[in-house]
Amino acid sequence: MTGLEARADMIVCEGVKKWFGDFQALRGIDMTVEEREVVVVLGPSGSGKSTLIRCINRLEVHQEGRIIVDGVELTNDLRNIEKIRSEVGMVFQQFNLFPHLTIMDNITLAPIWVRKKPREEAETLAMELLDRVGIPEQADKYPGQLSGGQQQRVAIARALAMEPRVMLFDEPTSALDPEMIKEVLDVMKELAQTGMTMIVVTHEMGFAREVADRIIFMESGEIVEEGTPEHFFTNPTEDRTKLFLSQIL
Amino acid sequence: MDEKREQMDWVAAVEVAGEKPPEVPPHGPVVWARENLFSSVGSGILTAAGLLVALVFFKAMLGYIFGADRKWDAVATNLRLYFTQAYPDDQYVRVWVAVGIALALTGLSAAIWRASGRVNGYKLGGWSFGVAGGLLTMLVLSPFSWGARLIYLILALVFVGTGQYLRMSHPKIEVPALSVVVGVLAVLVGSLWVVPYGRHTFVNGEVQPPRPGTVAMTTKLPWTVMLLVMVVAYFVGKAVRDKVSPGLSKGLLVAGWMLLVPFDYFVILRDPALDYGQVFRVDVPIFLFFAVVGSALLWWLSDPERGEIGRVVAGLMVIGAGVFWLAAAFGLSVRQIIRIDLLLLSVVAVAAPTFTGEKAVRRRFILGWLILLALVNYMAMMVNTDSTVEVPGSFPLGGFSLTLLVATSVLLMSFPIGLILALGRTSKMPIFRLLSTTYIEVIRGVPLITILIFFKIILNLFLPDGMSLGNEMSAILGYALFSAAYLAENVRGGLQSIRKGQYEAANALGMSTAQTTSFIVLPQALRAVVPPLVGGVIATFKETSLLFIIGLFDFLRIGYVVVGGQTAFVGSQRENLLFVAFIYWIITFSISRSSVQLEKKLGLGER
Amino acid sequence: MVVIKWISQVVVLILVVSGLLFFAAQAGSNLRAKNIETSWRFLSVKPGIQLGEGIDVNPSTGARALWVGMVNTIRVSAVGLILATILGTIIGVARLSKNWIVNKLSTTFIEIIRNVPLLVQILFWAVVIRTWSEVDFNLGPIHNWFMVSQKGIALPRIFPSTGFYQWMVVVLIGAYVGRRVYHQRETEREETGRETHALSTALGIVAVFAAVGLLIHPLFGFLGPIFTAIGDVLDAIPILVVQLLLSAAMVAAAGLWIKRFLDNLRTPAGLAKLTDDDIFRIIFAGFSALMGIVLVFVIWPGLSAWLIHSLRDFFHLLGDKFEWLRTGRPLDGERPRIVQTGRFPNFSTSGLVITKEFAALLFGVVLYTAAFIAEIVRAGILAVPKGQTEAAGALGLSRGLALRKVVLPQAMRVILPPMGNQYLNLVKNTSLAIAVGFADLVQVGQTLYNQTGRTLEVVAIWMGFYLGMSLLISVVVNFFNVRLRIVER
Repeated sequence: MTGLEARADMIVCEGVKKWFGDFQALRGIDMTVEEREVVVVLGPSGSGKSTLIRCINRLEVHQEGRIIVDGVELTNDLRNIEKIRSEVGMVFQQFNLFPHLTIMDNITLAPIWVRKKPREEAETLAMELLDRVGIPEQADKYPGQLSGGQQQRVAIARALAMEPRVMLFDEPTSALDPEMIKEVLDVMKELAQTGMTMIVVTHEMGFAREVADRIIFMESGEIVEEGTPEHFFTNPTEDRTKLFLSQIL
Repeated sequence: MDEKREQMDWVAAVEVAGEKPPEVPPHGPVVWARENLFSSVGSGILTAAGLLVALVFFKAMLGYIFGADRKWDAVATNLRLYFTQAYPDDQYVRVWVAVGIALALTGLSAAIWRASGRVNGYKLGGWSFGVAGGLLTMLVLSPFSWGARLIYLILALVFVGTGQYLRMSHPKIEVPALSVVVGVLAVLVGSLWVVPYGRHTFVNGEVQPPRPGTVAMTTKLPWTVMLLVMVVAYFVGKAVRDKVSPGLSKGLLVAGWMLLVPFDYFVILRDPALDYGQVFRVDVPIFLFFAVVGSALLWWLSDPERGEIGRVVAGLMVIGAGVFWLAAAFGLSVRQIIRIDLLLLSVVAVAAPTFTGEKAVRRRFILGWLILLALVNYMAMMVNTDSTVEVPGSFPLGGFSLTLLVATSVLLMSFPIGLILALGRTSKMPIFRLLSTTYIEVIRGVPLITILIFFKIILNLFLPDGMSLGNEMSAILGYALFSAAYLAENVRGGLQSIRKGQYEAANALGMSTAQTTSFIVLPQALRAVVPPLVGGVIATFKETSLLFIIGLFDFLRIGYVVVGGQTAFVGSQRENLLFVAFIYWIITFSISRSSVQLEKKLGLGER
Repeated sequence: MVVIKWISQVVVLILVVSGLLFFAAQAGSNLRAKNIETSWRFLSVKPGIQLGEGIDVNPSTGARALWVGMVNTIRVSAVGLILATILGTIIGVARLSKNWIVNKLSTTFIEIIRNVPLLVQILFWAVVIRTWSEVDFNLGPIHNWFMVSQKGIALPRIFPSTGFYQWMVVVLIGAYVGRRVYHQRETEREETGRETHALSTALGIVAVFAAVGLLIHPLFGFLGPIFTAIGDVLDAIPILVVQLLLSAAMVAAAGLWIKRFLDNLRTPAGLAKLTDDDIFRIIFAGFSALMGIVLVFVIWPGLSAWLIHSLRDFFHLLGDKFEWLRTGRPLDGERPRIVQTGRFPNFSTSGLVITKEFAALLFGVVLYTAAFIAEIVRAGILAVPKGQTEAAGALGLSRGLALRKVVLPQAMRVILPPMGNQYLNLVKNTSLAIAVGFADLVQVGQTLYNQTGRTLEVVAIWMGFYLGMSLLISVVVNFFNVRLRIVER
């Protein structure tokens, strides 16, 4: 779309490796995501997609290599981690809304306590965001009273309330019933159009084709192939990619 | 829950990917220590403080246990008193027979249920290292002589060597966990023959100075036989388990376990003096009458064609049996066994329409009735015959055997009561619910000791003339009624966890309420509450120590009062209490550990 | 079918009731045969027993003796409850620690303590205390401050002195003002985002009031006559009025319950059809109220008088504590001392002396309960899904904030009900005091019935007391539980 402009690197991964016990989950990932870019990560389950984006948010700790987010390298330094986390929004497969707080409190918790915003301002913003994700009337309910699709949209609003520069989506539609998937994907599409930098792990091929600037295909903890959706879906070069696509499509 | 499953799937998926990792992340003792002990300044301080606490605690404990002026002789000399109080020497073989039956059942059960998991060499090696670590800690912190330390050092080195060998050379070999346990037991029993533990004796109330050498023959021989019995029973079980249907063998074993305690106590340990003339004149005819009449009645009742009339007849029989019992209070004297048999028959009659159908099933039902009747009559006869075992005091058992008897009888008795209470509390019938709820809440609101005192002192006031219960029996009764309330609450948790769909499905299959409850709901509910039920078993066992307060000669009283009060061992109360605590601990700890295993096997621990 | 259901229930009910009546009749005739009549007279005559410790070691009546026992039970329970909660929470958190040695130590503690009967532990502590040093004139570890001997443990104590109640009024006013200021400041912070130091300001205000109260508390003596007057007014109320009020309250409670019950059954389409079960519940609520009224007027007419007199005595007592311009320190402190009583040195009555029986019982129940509380706390924290912490982290919340705002509120919901059970167990477990001779309710009761032969009555009082305690605890726990409940569909 706007590929010719020189854009800053938002996320840089260099040779990232990660083990769980004796299992190696990431086998040297090199990847760069530019500002305002939408990257979709595809791959069979267990290929390390989720681990990769969880590492970017430091929910998992990588053992080798470097991850640099917006110019700040992820180290054990707590201040760095908190800074990065408040700039990187994350949406989980299981929503992870706080069940003991209302929708409004879920969204305003971090702005008030981390960003130190006045409550009124935080609530105004929260209402705007709820409007944007299409459920302004649910503000005073509790997560348990909402449908899965609604919960996931609240989770997106909650992440956006921190005004992040990057959004990570970890299989946001995998736990949803088919009829609810669309409402979440629509919100994500709209978000992509506003120019948000996004990394999306998903199995929704239609979404990938339509929205992604770039597609990364992973298997067994490695990046097998990457390229534009067109290249990826019509003319993949790697055999493993072809096999994957033939099973899925 | 989903969270966990997600991770599980994920790990499984990685496993499928299955390539050998090209690089192994760095780990070693230094890294381990850095991550687990000194990850930050605070953690380092905690580690130092923790080490200090551990050092002080273990040093004090070991220093106490192995101190020179400890009177462990008090325990060693009084072991028999501890376990069976004053059970007569010439009859002592009965105790071993009783224990042997229990162990044989254990061996059989282990075989039939295929209880043995497998452990690999790597894990065994780890255990070996653990033992070595314990031995080394002991030899460093205990006030041992240098000779003793050398022995401990050699032992520790042997274990380190074994562990190293297993881990390095055979990390993948698998051994049944059961053989490891039996092996350890064999080593322990074998050591009785070899290691000079010393011989502590008590002759005519006089403590003999301990003689060197191995323990007395009356200790080591029976224990060796016991171990053999268990092993042989295991192999017998293994041999027959494929030839008998699992339902039958497991059913028989469960029945065996339920009967174990009353049989061991009333038949073997009490040695009732049967009067055979009486047996053939009275007991056998009564049995035959109920066998013939009862079978005929049940055959008639269990006919599927019978319909509502069967239920009405059965219901009338229950009421009749109840009235018959109450009539006893107003002077209608009939042999107790007739009342029992009548009640039994009416209860079975009520159950008849629930459990029967075609002819073969009815025949099995009648067979079941005959077996039940025979067992009940036999046990009742034995219970009603006086004991010939002569002991000081009125009760043949004391010490640990009394504790065990009370705990097991309480568990056996409280189970059906608790089940009924739980069903009552969750029932849709308001009066049942009200009665059960009141009972449960009142009992759970008061301390056990008040119930025990109530039953000890007041129970006999409430009984009709001529009826009385010994202290032991009234304690068991009171305790069982107490623990039934707790058991009911646990079972209720399980009943409430059953989804509505299960009831609906059972209804859709045309099952009656009684059938739904006994075939669908209860099995699932009980399975779901295995952890709290085991917790209840442990609590019941621990709280038998309260018998001490109402003056029974339980394990604790023997240790604290009897042994602690012997002139030869004045001032040995701490040692005795520690021994009592240790035995309680071993048993409760192993129950709780095996319940964790059981949960894993039943797939309950996962969430 | 419904008919059979009800007939079977009524038959069982009749069997149960007649069984109970039969046993009661039997007990009555047995007692008459032994020439003992059920009677509560022992409560009002001097029992002639000496209690080991308590607010009154030479009680003048049986009731007073039992009251002393109850206070002792409550005393040891309250102290034990606080200590066990603190210790248990620490150990529970330690079990989750990533530090290997802290983790293993707490696990060892729990596995040892949990698997040994409490009674064995209490007896063990009693024996251990017996081996401590004898009382002498330079007893340590810190002489005249903190002394440990086989007679018990002596500590300094702080106690309310003559000016306490007047001063307390000032402090309470301060607390009220502080609370108001706290909420005001909190709102301000939320509205403007500025840090307003709400908590420290509020605490400061309370401290100022407490300090000023030291100077001005004599002025509050005027409250004394007011309290006395309230007491007099209460006393003047005719018993009949009290009985009517109580009855009205019971009718109102039953009515409210029925109304709420029906409201719950109401659906948008109108009232759902009542099942026979529902009708029974409603009838039973009414029946309970009726029974309550019968109790007030017929079964126990003295109840109302007793209630009103207790209230009157309470206000009169309060009135006595206030006196116009009475000066004196609100709080006083004193250190324990060693004195010569008879042939041997002993602790004096000054200071806080924890007797050896109290100490053995307390050590036992605190450690035992703490082990169970630790497991509850651990399970509660583990019950919060990992995703919650991750989500909080992903939003940039620091670990402390995530714990406070996300994990703990959810953990509390899991922890609270079993915690209530443990508190209840602790209270009931203090009845093991009887094994070490601590003068709790059960021990005093036993002494009393040994002396008077009034076993049934004493057992009834025991059960009533413990049932009351468990009711109290479950009401408190329920109150918090409802506040923590999470709304679900």
